[in-house]
Amino acid sequence: MVSRRDFLKITGTAATTAAAGLVSVDAALGADHGKHLDPDRVGVLTDLTICIGCRRCEWACAEQNGLPHGDLSQCDDASVFEHMRRPDAESFTVVILYDATAGTENSKFVKVQCMHCEDPACVSACIVGALEKDPRGPVTYDAWECIGCRYCMVACPFQIPAYEYHNKLTPKVMKCTLCFERTMEEGRRPACVDMCPPEALVYGKRSELLEIARNRIRNDPGRYHNHIYGEHEVGGTSWLMIGDRPIEEMDLPVLPEQAPPVITETIQHGIFKGFTGPVMLFGLLSVLMKSAGDRRKEKEDDHV
Amino acid sequence: MRKLFLITLVLGSFAGTAWAVDQLADPHHAQPNAQDVQEPRKMDCRDCHSCDHPTGEDPCLAACPRHSSHFYGDHQADEGPDIVIIDQLANLYKPVIFSHKLHASMSNMVGGCENCHHYSERSGVIPPCRECHDPDSNEVNLGQPALKGAYHRQCINCHRDWGHENACGFCHEQSDGSAAAAVVDSTDIIGILHPMITATPTYVYETTYEDAPLVTFHHEDHVEMFGQACVDCHRGDSCKRCHDTGTHERVKFDHVTTCNSCHMERDCNFCHSTTTQPRFEHAAATGWDLAPYHTGKDCSVCHGNPDSFRTPSHTCTDCHIHWEVGSFNHRVTGLELSENHVDLDCDNCHADMNMSKPPVCTDCHDDMSFPSDEPGDRVRR
Repeated sequence: MVSRRDFLKITGTAATTAAAGLVSVDAALGADHGKHLDPDRVGVLTDLTICIGCRRCEWACAEQNGLPHGDLSQCDDASVFEHMRRPDAESFTVVILYDATAGTENSKFVKVQCMHCEDPACVSACIVGALEKDPRGPVTYDAWECIGCRYCMVACPFQIPAYEYHNKLTPKVMKCTLCFERTMEEGRRPACVDMCPPEALVYGKRSELLEIARNRIRNDPGRYHNHIYGEHEVGGTSWLMIGDRPIEEMDLPVLPEQAPPVITETIQHGIFKGFTGPVMLFGLLSVLMKSAGDRRKEKEDDHV
Repeated sequence: MRKLFLITLVLGSFAGTAWAVDQLADPHHAQPNAQDVQEPRKMDCRDCHSCDHPTGEDPCLAACPRHSSHFYGDHQADEGPDIVIIDQLANLYKPVIFSHKLHASMSNMVGGCENCHHYSERSGVIPPCRECHDPDSNEVNLGQPALKGAYHRQCINCHRDWGHENACGFCHEQSDGSAAAAVVDSTDIIGILHPMITATPTYVYETTYEDAPLVTFHHEDHVEMFGQACVDCHRGDSCKRCHDTGTHERVKFDHVTTCNSCHMERDCNFCHSTTTQPRFEHAAATGWDLAPYHTGKDCSVCHGNPDSFRTPSHTCTDCHIHWEVGSFNHRVTGLELSENHVDLDCDNCHADMNMSKPPVCTDCHDDMSFPSDEPGDRVRR
């Protein structure tokens, strides 16, 4: 008797095999991760030593993206820091207080939003191509393509994409778009960057941002922990962060340098490279069929 | 031979160019005067250049380096403007009326103008923030904050320290979205200085050092007798040292860098004791009364070496260059010389003209010595 789990496993494998078999020739080239990116691609550098937790970025983001938001003065309400917040369907970015023990003047904040990975797991996981990595930097989302499978939410190492569960008819996956229209089409800075009062956020070419981050760390080693978060994490991200302490002390996920798709796609694509998988599968099937046919023939012969 | 000539030529031209650039770059200080030029600061190429290989065509100059201060000249709080109205960026908030004079007088206590004005021209001219920090983001040097960032970073850290709050309303009045509102009457902040600080003359600290827990600190002595300026000890102190009425922990006093910067040579018991200590009196502590002629003198006048006050590193004759027989009245030292001694040359008693050493009596008198035997009478100075 085949159990439900085994059945799902078998059908799942078969479906993946079939699907991958169809696209195997193109997808086998997917090992060139990040190669198609523009050398002048943009990003944002967050200097957490400058962030004062004023939450004006949240307000600017909501204003720009048509998300619900209150009056500007509501940003001064510090009570929101009392409970853990994450970016959700109604806020693409949130500022988190991770060290409340130091008092207001020394408290440390982290601005959380989509990191716009160089080799995004969400894009790799998206089966319909609704999520795409723009060679110029942003990871974009096309609601028309999206079928609502939410694989991207599972795949994201930063757990960023959110889903409009309350929207019954046309739910969308919600996440920071690096203000795509504003940045890519109008040539302006993202809303949060423009708003940030102490300019803890810098928008520019990723290569320049890395240089700025390295300079700041080198020039003031006492102020910074020597690590640029996002330089190498999961294959690099367009959004970079520097702060005064190791990332594990800042409620940020500690991640390997390899992008998740490098492993997953290599396994998937490797199996089917040059039709190896399908040939072996069909070869195996033909052998099985042949042997089954032979057995039946023997039985028939015995009968006779 | 031609090679050697070429090398010499190249090296020579390098040296010549370096000299010429030096002269051109700094016309005001072509002839430096020891009094008005500060010590040259140790500089990194990165202080001025934002790239690794600056060239003549592309020097990639970083206009106002922030990570290290480049501040020249000696400025006073009252030189600057009384108020500065910051309205270059007033779209969401009304203009900020910044009481420059008040802030300048506060900065005098903890480090001077360069607390905020981290960059000034070599001539000593202090440029306003907006001269380097453009209202728009600096596309050439992204690492440099634009005007908004420059203002906020300058203000917010102290105000968070002091006020325990982030609220924009501390400096800004929120605008209703219309055009920037007219500046309100600002006469009430013009000319206001930080009030004079009256410190407690003597503090007694109880420390965790079990053998000698009490440290008596005579603040008044350090200010008045030893001539310490506020900034000598309070450099970099935040406003909250005085203004903090909050509940959080008291700032831990860093005696290693503060006291030890002068008292490095001393053992623990110089400050730590089981009892409170009296104020420092030169006569009681050393046997040499400063009164009346040397009171109020800076210690370094006699004790030139600040590392050791045990012996004067300057001799009396360094200042008193006209001390000669006939012109010097020995009575001022508290000892009126007897008739036999009054006409002797100074170095007959004071070997090598060193007045701080006990006089030598044994050259003439087999059985006499100072101070048990004195060559005259004690008098009131």
